[in-house]
Amino acid sequence: MIVEGGWMTAVPDERHVQGICDLLAATMRQNYGLEINPLTDVVICCGQSEAFAAAIFATINQGDEVLLFDPAYETYESCITLAGGVPVYVPLDPPCWTLNVDKLMKSFTTRTKAVVLNRFVQKKLIDIGSVLTIQLEKFSVRKNFRPLLELAVKWTALLLQMNSLVTFNILGSLQYFVKALILQKTVYSLLVEHVSTGHHCDDFEKFAGSLQYFVKALILQKTVYSLLVEHVSTGHHCDDFEKFAGWRIGWACAPAIVASAIRNIHIKITDSAPAPFQEAAVTALQSPPAYFKSLKADYEARRDYVVQMLSSLGLQIWFKPQGSVFVFAELPENWLLSDIEFVKELIEKAGVAAVPGCGFFHADPNDQEYHNRYVRFAFCKSDATLNAAAQKMRGLVNSSGYLDL
Amino acid sequence: MLAIKHGAINLGQGFPNFDGPDFVKEAAIQAIREGKNQYARGYGIPDFNSAIAARFRKDTGLEVDPEKEVTVTSGCTEAIAATMLGLINPGDEVILFAPFYDSYEATLSMAGAKIKCITLRPPDFSVPVNELKSAISKNTRAVLINTPHNPTGKMFTREELELIATLCIENDVLVFTDEVYDKLAFEAEHISMASLPGMYERTVTMNSLGKTFSLTGWKIGWAIAPEHLTWGVRQAHSFLTFATSTPMQWAAATALRAPDSYYEELKRDYMAKKAILVEGLKAVGFVVHPSSGTYFVVVDHTPFGLENDVAFCEYLIQEVGVVAIPTSVFYLNPEEGKNLVRFTFCKDEDTLKAAVQRMKQRLRKI
Repeated sequence: MIVEGGWMTAVPDERHVQGICDLLAATMRQNYGLEINPLTDVVICCGQSEAFAAAIFATINQGDEVLLFDPAYETYESCITLAGGVPVYVPLDPPCWTLNVDKLMKSFTTRTKAVVLNRFVQKKLIDIGSVLTIQLEKFSVRKNFRPLLELAVKWTALLLQMNSLVTFNILGSLQYFVKALILQKTVYSLLVEHVSTGHHCDDFEKFAGSLQYFVKALILQKTVYSLLVEHVSTGHHCDDFEKFAGWRIGWACAPAIVASAIRNIHIKITDSAPAPFQEAAVTALQSPPAYFKSLKADYEARRDYVVQMLSSLGLQIWFKPQGSVFVFAELPENWLLSDIEFVKELIEKAGVAAVPGCGFFHADPNDQEYHNRYVRFAFCKSDATLNAAAQKMRGLVNSSGYLDL
Repeated sequence: MLAIKHGAINLGQGFPNFDGPDFVKEAAIQAIREGKNQYARGYGIPDFNSAIAARFRKDTGLEVDPEKEVTVTSGCTEAIAATMLGLINPGDEVILFAPFYDSYEATLSMAGAKIKCITLRPPDFSVPVNELKSAISKNTRAVLINTPHNPTGKMFTREELELIATLCIENDVLVFTDEVYDKLAFEAEHISMASLPGMYERTVTMNSLGKTFSLTGWKIGWAIAPEHLTWGVRQAHSFLTFATSTPMQWAAATALRAPDSYYEELKRDYMAKKAILVEGLKAVGFVVHPSSGTYFVVVDHTPFGLENDVAFCEYLIQEVGVVAIPTSVFYLNPEEGKNLVRFTFCKDEDTLKAAVQRMKQRLRKI
């Protein structure tokens, strides 16, 4: 409210603090090269939980299919189902959760409306595009153009399909999305160059068709509905951390028309995010880069500590987590029981709590035996806690130094 | 936007232009300093759930289990959303009383419900008995009651509640009550449906901190219901927001333990404000419908000769410099609200006096 001369004058019912939106717009431009309109494209919600729920309700209709990658955070599915949507899981392949593009392509149907992306998937798409770009650049006239053409067609078809969907970008994977856009333009121009210098093959019509794909894809990108759902109350976009998670400040960024729908839903679900914490978030988002750097370094140290500790105890960790505050470890080879049993024993014998991984797998368990082979450990804990956990677990090792529960 | 342009005094917004009590604010600051900033337990921190149960016992005489029958949400708005999404299936019939707070219709649509609307009419907005009897049937899943009522200020009487209760028991219907204004009950006693015989087991009682403690931006609300209904509310809540602001919950527990004197003073203050506004509205020529509770009053604007409520509100902003809310937005059929506008008195006395003064000086029959 504005007070002028003792009289309270009217302001429109603003449920969000504009300062947050302005700061987000600046960050998007700086970090990702994306221009968003702070007046229309941002919706502040009660945490990312609510941002995701509101975004789903705003875009998913009865019967719409939403692609999810397995393993996945468990609440996505429930939000989608609540909205009348159908979750469709595409399993990523262990141990490094790589994307099998064929599996992804097979999951598309005429009812597919949206996809919830994560870094692994986007990275994979980028990798394909990067390889494609390199091959196109190196392409010489004596080689067979056909395989390259097929790969290009496949890749752009996939991106075309992805871009025609509502995409939910989770956990700071936005830079990959932008990279993918740039790559597509590069591949397109390389293909055009090849055609104009005469490098084509027998099925030239097919090639012409694939150029059409590119044009379509590029046009669609201009109208693509990409929803970026970021959960962070102190403004850091690249990692999921929960320093002030209890304050419940999150947001969604989308093209104005979609943001407006999300905002309307949000207003009906909670009406607004806690006012004092929105004000505090403005201060938080203005933290100097040094703060985020040290935060990252801090968490990286904790991650390294936990990864090393778990590995030394016989748990199988195939790669260091590149983001989030969790380690998704595979059970030791000699553990023949389930993840639930493991967690139970760990709690009872070592007094250390972790989360059984089976809750994060949703795809058909029949051909996925690994659903019960993973346990999730959090490293967003104080040094004292992590040390204590390590000590307790080390107290239960056998003669070969491995955990013996 | 129109209001800012004309520098109008806002008696339209439904939230106070004054702050909440220091002791509650201090409790929040203390909670933040003490590091209570991580995720709260999804359905509420134990201390707050207990405080809610204790307050509910004091108000209704009902003993509820704070762990199994109380769920904390981001404001009563979220309690409503969670109740609708958690307990209403697509195609279920739900009865609403118009005029109604706009999130009811929206969340019922999200749940895919079939809405049956019963209109409350001036001058006293009493429940039309015959219409109610023919509306409730074995096909009805739930009835939603807001008492004290926004926008009219009506409070459902014991007779009305007993009638609804009888029909609900007969037809096995649930009741959802929105009681956020229960501490702003001036001309009548607030009665919770849950306290009526046979009703606790089929009622979800919703409330919040914001109106009682002038802290509407904190978004602290709750739903009280028997275990089998709480289950549905908690399911939906887990996927809507999952957890509610932690430090605010700690402060809210302190707030709910406020002595009776706080509530008495709150009532006295609001009654004084109400008197200023109502006297002013009557003097100026509105037909003022009696409001027993909330900080709203609806008036009939037709003596001033404008064609409907929206036109009147525009005129009021532009020519008089005061904001009111057109009530047609609170009806399924906007036509039914075109004669009424809503004023609020949750403003400091100077603002209210200034608004009344402007109306006395500038409001004229067209």
